[in-house]
Amino acid sequence: MSDPVLSIRKLTKRFGGLTAVNAVSWDVYPGEVVALLGDNGAGKSTLIKCVSGVYQPSEGEIFFAGKQVHFSKPIDSRSAGIETIYQDLALANNLDVPANIFLGREVKHRYLGGLIRTLDERTMRSESQTALDALEIHFPTLTQPIESLSGGMRQAVAIARAVYWKARLMIMDEPTNNLGVPEQQKVLDLIRRLRDSGVPVILITHTLPDVFAVSDRLMVMHRGRKVTEKRTSDTNTEELVGYMVGVRDDTRAA
Amino acid sequence: MKKSALFAAAALAAMALAGSAHAQGKLKIGFLPGVVDPFYQVMQLGVEKAAKDLGIDVVTQIPPTWGVEAETPLLNAMIARGDLNYIITAPVDKDQMVAPLQAAVDAGIKIITVDTFLGDGDYASGPVKFPLSYIGSDNEEGGRISANGLAKAIGDKGTVYINSTNPNVSSVEAREVGFKDEMAKHHPNIKVLGPDYNLDDPNKAQQQTAAVIEQNPDLAGVFGTNVFSAQGAGAAVVNAGLGGKVQVVAYDATKAAIESLNKGDVSLVLAQKPFDMGYLAVEFAQADAAGVTSLPKRVETGFAIIDKTNVTDPNFSRFIYQAPGQ
Amino acid sequence: MAVQPSEAAPPAGGRPAQLSPGKRFLVTVSGLWAWLFLALMILFFVVTVPVFSSATFVTVRNSQNILVAIVPIVLLGLGQTFVIISAGIDLSVGWVMSLGSVLSALAIRDSYNMGAPIWLAVILGLLAGALGGAAVGIINGTIIAKLKVPAFIVTLGTSFIVRGMALLMSENTTVIGLPDIRAYGNESLLYYVRGAGGGFYFLQRPQLATDQLRQLDRILPWPVVVTAVVVAIVMFILHRTQFGRHTYAIGGNLEAARRAGIPVDRRIIAIYALSAATAGIAGFLSTLQYTAGSAVIGDSLLLSSIAAVIIGGVSLFGGAGTIMGTVIGSLIIAVLTTGLVMLNVQAFWQFIVVGTVVIVAVLIDQSRDLIVGRNERGSET
Repeated sequence: MSDPVLSIRKLTKRFGGLTAVNAVSWDVYPGEVVALLGDNGAGKSTLIKCVSGVYQPSEGEIFFAGKQVHFSKPIDSRSAGIETIYQDLALANNLDVPANIFLGREVKHRYLGGLIRTLDERTMRSESQTALDALEIHFPTLTQPIESLSGGMRQAVAIARAVYWKARLMIMDEPTNNLGVPEQQKVLDLIRRLRDSGVPVILITHTLPDVFAVSDRLMVMHRGRKVTEKRTSDTNTEELVGYMVGVRDDTRAA
Repeated sequence: MKKSALFAAAALAAMALAGSAHAQGKLKIGFLPGVVDPFYQVMQLGVEKAAKDLGIDVVTQIPPTWGVEAETPLLNAMIARGDLNYIITAPVDKDQMVAPLQAAVDAGIKIITVDTFLGDGDYASGPVKFPLSYIGSDNEEGGRISANGLAKAIGDKGTVYINSTNPNVSSVEAREVGFKDEMAKHHPNIKVLGPDYNLDDPNKAQQQTAAVIEQNPDLAGVFGTNVFSAQGAGAAVVNAGLGGKVQVVAYDATKAAIESLNKGDVSLVLAQKPFDMGYLAVEFAQADAAGVTSLPKRVETGFAIIDKTNVTDPNFSRFIYQAPGQ
Repeated sequence: MAVQPSEAAPPAGGRPAQLSPGKRFLVTVSGLWAWLFLALMILFFVVTVPVFSSATFVTVRNSQNILVAIVPIVLLGLGQTFVIISAGIDLSVGWVMSLGSVLSALAIRDSYNMGAPIWLAVILGLLAGALGGAAVGIINGTIIAKLKVPAFIVTLGTSFIVRGMALLMSENTTVIGLPDIRAYGNESLLYYVRGAGGGFYFLQRPQLATDQLRQLDRILPWPVVVTAVVVAIVMFILHRTQFGRHTYAIGGNLEAARRAGIPVDRRIIAIYALSAATAGIAGFLSTLQYTAGSAVIGDSLLLSSIAAVIIGGVSLFGGAGTIMGTVIGSLIIAVLTTGLVMLNVQAFWQFIVVGTVVIVAVLIDQSRDLIVGRNERGSET
């Protein structure tokens, strides 16, 4: 097995007297989809926010691509290649697809030795088209504001953005929430496509069918602790529910 | 001296009228006062009466607020009409309105200023010479009259306060100067506070006066230099329960001021003669159009000084600012 | 396995295809309604004005009058457009304009008295107005971005402070004693002399006898030229640069902009600085026009500028709008005012009409969202 892309060692996060994440150790390898499961309050979001730089861990270490990292703000993790797709997608609904894909990283023409810089809309549009084509996502036109797109298509834009910027690790938080069944399938297809291209995906989800549909391995948290880590094919729904509600706990065996 | 100037002006105008009633096409003049208030409303009555008497068309526009940004667009639109020969106006700032009114003159419209003037008011040898004439009160004299009236009412000693409207407006500026000068020269035992500027807002006038009353419990008198100043300042005195104890001199005889006079809250009201200003201005336009070249550059229209003793005398009460039938 | 969005959901850009031709027509019309209204209004005045006066509505002189009248409204509206697109609001622009007027008058007067030639004094006046305004804007933006106080409250507060400063610096009266700068405020790029022996003159004011002066029309007075240049620059910034794109993003989704790495705080400060700077320039131009600085000149213009922006189609919730829209909105207000005066209708009617147009503008924009939105919701089953 190759080296892990992401390695967390005894990560702990406390907020005052509350320990949200308790000494979690975990590895994520290239080319796999790992589901992160747990009931509300289990600490999944907090763990991920420590990885992406929104929070700083109280204890423990994070290694990314073999090197120890300290992300003090979200931009740092993004620069390192960790792309996070939040539930609210972090897209600007009033802008079109290319504008969103290049948000904050716009391509510019330079005139007068850099004194005047205008947006290079043509390049951004063609690059976006290429990225979408590679993911086999088809929009008839790229120039409408994305508020007119359905939820699933907006997810696709967010994913295309992460892929375009050469994410080395993709974290997706409840990506199929609020989507109709056909759109859920499309998003799961995209996740598989990502994995096949070598990008590991951490999938935070409540939706057990998604776990079985698309993930290779999974990790369950309960009250801040990791309670199991398995191959998806080695388990079933009942077991998982047991882990999530705290009835089962592999770390406290015997 | 002023009365004779008035008579002379009227005589000239009458001569011109007699000699030229049929000598020209119908004149069209524009009337652009300072703002909506009873003083200018009475002036408008004078303008309209003269227009009717002399067979002249009048186009009137009244700015809703006092300010060059309110008066200038209306002026420009009047100029753009292309059919006005004269504009009778009260410039709302003696320096800022010079350029816009010069533009009117360049477009072939002659200007007569009423109530307020441009520059220093001396259109013969002062810095601004293009208006035909200035017709208004001798506001410095009005200030002096107010000072003397207030001094008498408070026993010639104590502290008094001026509440005024806008800076750089010729009329109220002259009143403040006249008031302060007279107090300094002839009433050395009286201390003068202010002026504060309420920007033609009676509510502000009331707040400002109330604050001064708070700070000076022994305040003896207040001088409100125009319609809204007197209204607000008077209200502040009454609200503080000092009606009749703090003497108020009000410039401009609005019905509200007269009511206060009757109640004893105001001791002296200075009525200007806006009707005469308006009427005379139209006559001047007529005369000038008929070719008269000796119109006086400055005409002072005088005051009616109203107090409790003569408020019911029709010779004085007719100068109260009200429309007929009000 | 191709992912075809069209399998189960409407095509992404296919919104027009979803609407019936009738609805599509309505959407297009509602997008253009401001232009249509302006055209209709001009037509109305062209027809009615000659009936009530001996004037013609569409004359060279009148068109220039209208352009001069919109100078302050457009300039205040420019900054306001930027700010509102970023989902903020700037209530201080009116009084920043007054401060700009006072600062530029003081700069012109004092530098001239210290020996500067008039043209230099005028340039210093422009800088004083613009930079003074920008300074206020930076303060506004900093408090809004760093201290996270709502824009409404911050700009309201600074507007009072600015007002006080303007009155203080002008010593509570008009700032006079400036050198003769009337030429800068009232002369123009082009001149046209009507009648026989007339014609166009470029830049050089023709020497005319007093009588002939009446035939002289000034086309594109300098304040209008300056305003046009500022409008062009701001349009360029908003629609063609990264800064403009980021302004839209901040207004559309502040959190998304932040997470995308946009330096949101720096942008917000720049946006409010821009808004206040254009207000300061408006103050400078008014000083030129009246040859004096006034601390009370911007009082009534704040609401007019917001009305122009709303009529021009900028959504008060942020994220959408164009500079051209604001220009059209300002034109509507100015044409209305001028036309009503030429019809000899009392000035206060303009308030009533403008207020009605603003409400109609908001209703039209909302109904447009309704026509489009209803379809969208219907497809998300």
